[in-house]
Amino acid sequence: MRKHWGSGVIWLLLFTMPFWMLAVGGYTELAARIVVLGLAAMALNFLLGFTGVLSFGHAAYFGLGAYGVGMTIKYLFPSTAAGVVIGVAAGTLAGAIIGALIVKLRGVYFAMVTIAFGQVFYFIAFRWNSVTGGDDGLTGWGRQPINLGFTTLDIQGNDKAFYYFVLALFTISVAVMALLLRGPFGRTLLAIRENERRARFLGIPIELHIWLSFVISCFFASLAGALFALVNNFTDPRFLRWDQSGTFVIMAVMGGMRSFWGPLMGATVYVLLQDYLSSHTENWMSFVGLVFVLVVLFFPRGIVGTARTRTVAEP
Amino acid sequence: MSLLRVEGVSRSFGSVVAVKEVTMTVQPGELRAVIGPNGAGKTTFFNMISGFFPPTKGRIFFADHEITAMPSHRRVALGIARTFQITEIFPELTVRENLRIAVEVASKHRLSLWLSRENETRIEARVAALIELGGLSAKADRQVSELTHGAQRATEIMMALALEPRLLLLDEPTAGMGDDETYHIVRLVRRLHKDQKLAIVLVEHDMRVIFNLADRITVLAEGSALAEGTPDEIAKSEAVQAAYLGKVR
Amino acid sequence: MTQLILFNVFNGLVVGAFYALMALGLSLILNLTGVINFAHGGFLALGAYIAYTLLPYVGFWGALVIAPVLTALVGIVVERVLIRRLYGRDPLYSLLLTFGLAFIFEDGTRFIWGAQSVPYQIPASLTTALSPSLFFLTGYRVFMVVLVAAAVAGLFLLLTRTRLGMRIRAGTLDLETVSVLGVNVRILRNLNFGLGIYLAGLAGVLAAGMLGLQPTIGTSLIMPSFVAIIVGGLGSLPGTLLGGILIGVASGVTTVFFPSATEAVMYVMMGIVLLVLPRGLLGEEGRF
Repeated sequence: MRKHWGSGVIWLLLFTMPFWMLAVGGYTELAARIVVLGLAAMALNFLLGFTGVLSFGHAAYFGLGAYGVGMTIKYLFPSTAAGVVIGVAAGTLAGAIIGALIVKLRGVYFAMVTIAFGQVFYFIAFRWNSVTGGDDGLTGWGRQPINLGFTTLDIQGNDKAFYYFVLALFTISVAVMALLLRGPFGRTLLAIRENERRARFLGIPIELHIWLSFVISCFFASLAGALFALVNNFTDPRFLRWDQSGTFVIMAVMGGMRSFWGPLMGATVYVLLQDYLSSHTENWMSFVGLVFVLVVLFFPRGIVGTARTRTVAEP
Repeated sequence: MSLLRVEGVSRSFGSVVAVKEVTMTVQPGELRAVIGPNGAGKTTFFNMISGFFPPTKGRIFFADHEITAMPSHRRVALGIARTFQITEIFPELTVRENLRIAVEVASKHRLSLWLSRENETRIEARVAALIELGGLSAKADRQVSELTHGAQRATEIMMALALEPRLLLLDEPTAGMGDDETYHIVRLVRRLHKDQKLAIVLVEHDMRVIFNLADRITVLAEGSALAEGTPDEIAKSEAVQAAYLGKVR
Repeated sequence: MTQLILFNVFNGLVVGAFYALMALGLSLILNLTGVINFAHGGFLALGAYIAYTLLPYVGFWGALVIAPVLTALVGIVVERVLIRRLYGRDPLYSLLLTFGLAFIFEDGTRFIWGAQSVPYQIPASLTTALSPSLFFLTGYRVFMVVLVAAAVAGLFLLLTRTRLGMRIRAGTLDLETVSVLGVNVRILRNLNFGLGIYLAGLAGVLAAGMLGLQPTIGTSLIMPSFVAIIVGGLGSLPGTLLGGILIGVASGVTTVFFPSATEAVMYVMMGIVLLVLPRGLLGEEGRF
C-alpha cells in the first residue's frame, strides 16, 4: 500500500513540475534534465540493481543516442522522431555487439572492460572533427516540431510542450521496465543477481539473459541520450566519456540501487547539486568528487535503502 | 535401459588427477550413494555429471543422449537437477519466490514477459504443492536467509524438484546439520525416492544416512572407483574397510 | 616512408613502455586487493606537478628521484584513510570512490597549479637527436625507454628477490593463508599500494618531460592502461607489460596510415583479444 502511495507522489511531482519549478528557483529545462538523466540512471539500474551486473561504460550508449539524433537532424532529415529512432537504434546495436563480447566476464573484469569499450566512441566523436564537430561538439542543429497529423507539437519553441514530450517517453519507458521486472523474465534477472550458480543450475542460460538485460538497458540509456541531446540542442563528446558513465552509476547508488525509483531520486539530487555548485564555485568537480567519496563511505545503500533500514529499525 | 551411464571419465587440474577412469551406471528409480574418504574426488565426479565442467577424458550419457560436453542449462532441460554442498539459494527472496522462479523456468516461461491468468494459477498451485511437500508451509513467506540450515536445504531440494527432473544429484545434503535436521532431510529424500520413483545420486559422509537410503553404493578412493555393490556387500568389503581405515590412521 | 614507419614504431614503443609503467602500478594494486584504482591518473598528475614544483630547487635528476617517492607517500596516506575501508566490498564501491578521488585530484591540481599547460624543462643533454639520419631518436625518448626498462627490471627483482616482494606475490594468490602465516596484511596492502603509486609518480615525471603539464594529463592516460591490462590478461604482470607495449606500438603504426584511428585501434585490439582469448593474452582462468 505504502509503495503505491510513494509512486503516486512521484508521478504527481513529475507531472506538475513545470508549474512550480520557477517558484522554487529552477527553470523548465532543469526539470527536463532531471527526467532525462533519471531515465538514464534507471536504465543503468535495470542492469546494476536488478541483474547484479556492473557496467561502468553506459555513457557510450547514452552518447550514441545523442549523436544519433543530432547527426540525423543535421545531415539526413530535419525530423525529431527519425532522429530519436536512429539514435536509439545506434546505441542499442552497439550495446548488442559489445554485450556479446563481454557477457562471459564477471565482476571487476566486466567493469573494466565496459569502461574501456565505452571510450571507443568518445575517441571517435573526439577525433572525427569534420562530421562530429570534434572537441567542440555537434552544433548547428536543433529539435524540430513534431507533426502528429491532426496537430503539431511545438517542442521547438514551447518549453512546456517539450517537457511533456520528454515526460511522455519517460513514462512509457518506466512502465515497460516495470512490466519487464515484474514478470517471469524479470525474475530470472533477480535470480542471476541473487545467486548466479543456482540460476545456472535451474536451467537459465545465464549469458543469454545477461546479454538481454544489457541490451534492454542500453536501449533505454540511448533513448535518454537522444532526449538529452534534444534538451541541449547540442551534442558534446563528454556525453560519451567515462566520467559520464561514473555519474550514472553514482546516481543509481546514491538513490538506492535495490529500489525501482531510487536512481531517479539520485539523479534529481545530483542534477540539482551540480546546477547549484557549478554556478557558485569554480571547483564544483572537487565537490562532486567529495560526494562520491561520502556516498561510498556513509550511504552505500543510497537514499531509499537508508530510509528503509530506518523504518525497519523503528517500527 | 540405464538412465545415467558414465564411461571411464577422468579429470585433471593441472598436473593433479582428481578423478581417474571412473565408470558407473544408474538405473531409473535407483538411489545411488557415492562415498569415499576426503579428497577421493567425489565432488569433482559430481560436477562432471551436472555439467559444472567437462571431463578431460571419457564420456557421459543420460537417457541415451551424450552429455559429456553439454552446457549445464541444457542438462537441466533433459532432466538433471542438482543441489550443492554449500546451499545455493536466492538469499534475499522468500521461500515462495525462490520456488516460483524455479517453477517458472521449468515450465518454459523464463523469457515470458507476463503470465496468463491460467498459467498464473497453475504455477501458484505447483509452488504451493512443493512448499507442502518440503514441509515449509510455516516459513513460506519468510526470507530464506533468515531460515535454519535445514529449512534452507529443504528449499534447495524443492527448487531442484521443481524442475521435474528424472535424476536428482544431491551433494552432501546433510553436511553440517544436527541430528534433528538430518532426520528431516533423510525422510524427505526417502519420500522423493519411494513416492515419486525419482532416481537420485547422492554424495554423503554420514554412514547412517547412506546405509539408510541407498540401493547401491559406489566407493571412490584417490580418484578411482574402488568398489560397487549393495550396502551389505560394501559393509563387508575388505578393500573398502582398508581404504577408510587407512585414511583414519 | 620506411623512416616514417620506423619513427612511429619507435614512438609507439616509447608510448607503450609508458602505458606499461602506469598499468603495472594499477595491476599491482588490483591483483592484491581487487581494487581498480581510477585515481591512478590523478596520482600520475600529482607526481608530475610535484616534480614541476621541485625542479627549480633540485634540478631534473633530483625531481626524478624525489617526486615519485613523495607521490607514493601521498598514496600510502590515501590507502590508510580511504582505500582500506573498501577491501572485501563489492568492486562497485572501490570504483566509485577512486572515481571521486580522480575528480578531486584533477580539480585540485587545477586549483593549485592553474588550468594552463606549462612546459617541463629537461636537460639539454637529453633533447638532442642521437644522429642526423635518425632524427627521431632524441635522447629523451631513448632515456625514457631505458628508464622504464630499468624500473620494470627493478620491480620484477623486487617481487622475486625480496621478502616484501615474495609476500606480495603470495598474497596475490591467497591472502588468507599469508595472513595465517603471520604476515601483517594491513601493512602489506599499504606498502603494495605505495609501490603501485610510486610507479604512477615515476610515469608522471616522465610524461611531464614528454607532453608538458596540464591538469588533465592523468585522466587522459588512464584508459590506455586499462586496455593494456585487459589485453595482457588480468592478474598477470608480464601480461600487463606485454599489453602496454603492444597497444603502444599498434597505435604508433596506425598513426602513419590512419591518424584519426590512433586511439580507436587499441580498443579494436582489445575486442579481438577478448573474442579469441577471453582471459587476455597471459591471463589465467579463475583469478578474476
